[in-house]
Amino acid sequence: MIRRISHFLCNYENIVPLFAGACAIIFLAGILMLPLSYQQNQLYPKTIDRNSTLDPYDRGGPPFTQVTIHAQYPENSPTAGLVTSYLTPFSFYLAQTTQHLGTTIVAHPGGIIDEILYNTRGLDTVVEPTILLIAFAIASFLYRKVG
Amino acid sequence: MITVTSIGGIPYYILEFGDELVYFTPYTITLFLLALTFTVLVIISRPEKQVDIAFGGDAYRAKDISISEMRFRRFMAIACGLASMGAMVTGDIFNFTLFTAMVGITNVGIVAAVKSPHVQDAAYQYGLVALAATVPLFAGAAVYAAATGSLSMIELMNGTLPTVPLIAKAMLVIGVIGEGMAPFYAAKAEMFRAPGAPYVIMCSLSSLLIFLRVVEVVMLG
Repeated sequence: MIRRISHFLCNYENIVPLFAGACAIIFLAGILMLPLSYQQNQLYPKTIDRNSTLDPYDRGGPPFTQVTIHAQYPENSPTAGLVTSYLTPFSFYLAQTTQHLGTTIVAHPGGIIDEILYNTRGLDTVVEPTILLIAFAIASFLYRKVG
Repeated sequence: MITVTSIGGIPYYILEFGDELVYFTPYTITLFLLALTFTVLVIISRPEKQVDIAFGGDAYRAKDISISEMRFRRFMAIACGLASMGAMVTGDIFNFTLFTAMVGITNVGIVAAVKSPHVQDAAYQYGLVALAATVPLFAGAAVYAAATGSLSMIELMNGTLPTVPLIAKAMLVIGVIGEGMAPFYAAKAEMFRAPGAPYVIMCSLSSLLIFLRVVEVVMLG
């Protein structure tokens, strides 16, 4: 029996269906276990002001007056909330004329600083582009090798 | 009755990155040093050259590794070592999943550089698994955040938060299994046929390390 299982596993093309089956079982179990408890006291509360032009990233507050940002360890990020956005003339123009500046956060220079993303959880923001960099390095290496 | 308050031991030192604490307990520091030692070995060592010997004759064939391939695989192995070091000591659930995803993608990179169709087929299948595994991995972290309201492992360790649902732990574990391919060494054996010893062993070591760490993470909450 073990011999048969290991014979099945040694063909690497069987691994993807096997993993997919395992994932399906886990997710089905998740659906069966459903109502999961939801903790009302969330660490990073979010209030969305649909009328703000900086919409999903608007943490509010005039510049250089500290806005309260909820953090797990506020003593570790003393400067959080001081500058929640910096707008270059172009992005200021975009914010004045359109409703979509918040959705173009990566597409133009000078923008919105999400204090939770970039200040209290800054290490995540560093690791994410590193993953992207690695992915692009692999893709470009393979592309140059084939071409 | 013995009560265990902390799985990995009392942290010796806590490094603060805002909300993300990096903590060194006896457990994490051991794993960290293991990853660090192996990364240094990868940096200073040269790749082995495989020799195929035909039985019953004098014929043998040495596989040659081009400089560019060697450089790329060394870069990927070092990145993999750094990612595993990060995953070993981080004190944040979401950060742990990010480092685990990075370990998965660098593992694909280490084997994808090999110029053997057979190895590349295996790497492709493994890449599909690593890609699919990010869904349960990050879903697990999301359920952690929703059910406990926090992502910090130190807070989970203190026991002040509500218990983590079993399904979040299961999702996290199956995500790590997919990224590290830990029980699927039978499939990884295809990749080990790739020449270049220290770099290929990095795949295996990093998946072992993230698996050892996820055991601690799952037992925290």
